[in-house]
Amino acid sequence: MHTWGKFADKSVTDLCRVAVNRALGDAGIGWRDVDAVAAASSRFSGGKGWGLNGNDVVEDMGSTGIPVYNMSAGCAAGGNAFNVGYSLVAGGMHDVVLVVGGEKMPKGFIQTSGVDEDSDPEFLRQRCVGMPGPSFWALLCRQRMAEMGTTEEQLAKVAVKAHEVGRHNENARFRQQFSVEEVLASNLVSDPLHLYEICPVSDGAAAAVICSAEKARQLGGTMPWVAGSAVATARFDDGLPRGLAGTVPAGKAHHSEAAIAVAGALEQAGASPGDLDLVELQDNTVYYELAFPEEWGLCEPGESERLLEAGETLPTGKMPLNPSGGFLCFGEATTAMGVFQVCELTWQLRQEAGPRQVPGATLALAQTLGLGGNASALVLKR
Amino acid sequence: MSTARVPVMEGLFSDESGEARLLGSRCSTCNTPYFPRSDRCHNPECDVSQVQDDSFGPRGTLWSYSVQNYPPPPPARYDEPFEPYALCVVDLDDGLRVVGRMAADDAGLEVGSKVELALGPICHEDDGTEVISWMFRSV
Ligand SMILES: [Zn+2]
Repeated sequence: MHTWGKFADKSVTDLCRVAVNRALGDAGIGWRDVDAVAAASSRFSGGKGWGLNGNDVVEDMGSTGIPVYNMSAGCAAGGNAFNVGYSLVAGGMHDVVLVVGGEKMPKGFIQTSGVDEDSDPEFLRQRCVGMPGPSFWALLCRQRMAEMGTTEEQLAKVAVKAHEVGRHNENARFRQQFSVEEVLASNLVSDPLHLYEICPVSDGAAAAVICSAEKARQLGGTMPWVAGSAVATARFDDGLPRGLAGTVPAGKAHHSEAAIAVAGALEQAGASPGDLDLVELQDNTVYYELAFPEEWGLCEPGESERLLEAGETLPTGKMPLNPSGGFLCFGEATTAMGVFQVCELTWQLRQEAGPRQVPGATLALAQTLGLGGNASALVLKR
Repeated sequence: MSTARVPVMEGLFSDESGEARLLGSRCSTCNTPYFPRSDRCHNPECDVSQVQDDSFGPRGTLWSYSVQNYPPPPPARYDEPFEPYALCVVDLDDGLRVVGRMAADDAGLEVGSKVELALGPICHEDDGTEVISWMFRSV
């Protein structure tokens, strides 16, 4: 992994080279041992997007003629690339696949519409209503506050908790400790969400090596096993206010793509939510750390705030969430995020995470969410 | 003399009947509402897509709200200097969950409150013409 931050003097290829060399070194292999690359590419929708094209990484490392799979799924691309890499190895197609994600982000919040077309729901939403990205999270959050009684202080406590653990992570970009008062005093970006309750964009890169069981035994060392890996898209009737309108759902509105991916990865692992020792989830905003555990059955609906306040979401708690510090401490380098989570899970399962270590972690889940209703999830075990 | 008005986008709403309506469609097989108009029914449980024009509104319930506190990036439109505005998600009585703004003069924001569809200005052209979109107002 390359550290997260803003690196004006480096290209996305520079960032990826660092991450790839560290991953290869960690696995004890060289570039010529890599059979294929699964890259999380942000060049989606006909060139729209920012940085990474996996072919550039291969050219930079040395054009050995290996296949490159460029996966696009918005911010879920890292998880999708992992899924493709895993499937290629599990299916016997390749013995060693490198998964890489890297990004140099433009300034400001992520622009959700790059297409100037009446037929693009995101364009219509911005033009006719004026709802930039963070307002989507704000609307979900306000709805939860009304339904569950979540307070502004509890929202701020999620950010405080993130920095309490993330400050120990040398790869994180934001490592200062905040108080509840400081979080609530930061700019109100999109009521009820403050600046420190939303993740900004960052530059960063991460890489991971997936290899067959036989190859792993040859290489030796402590490697986690892939117990499950799944990707999903959103269901038609999940009730989230995407685009301009949808159907009023029969049940509670939720991110169906994330729930489906998580359930799929857990099923492959033969595990239930309660078996997980830790979860890295996509906390673009503090809201998700409250909503997702309930939507995936890690805890009961309405229970998240109590668990947070009891310290149960800390690495030492009963339901550790984002011991890395999460997106709030890293900032979002879109396609790299799913791979950054793989790195964190690996370190946690090897008990190498230092002050942010979840004691005795043996089973861990990671999840990402991407524009367009994409999601990925994976379960690693020791 | 009344102020000149122009819709922010053609074909999405109308008040020709004297009542604000959103212009969409509905599948007569499975009753799914669509806004904006859809050529096809996307309900995976629906076997026969039979989509016809339909219109929605005006009554509904506030599902959630937010306040846009900073000038939104393009292609959003607003008057200078920027004034914060309220955003909302409304469950219309006819089964559509739709996003919109709250009318500028509306101070009452409470999840679960009754609202009604209206058309109003989101900004002005240089010549003073009002640019109209759909919004919601407490009732
Ligand atoms: Zn239908």
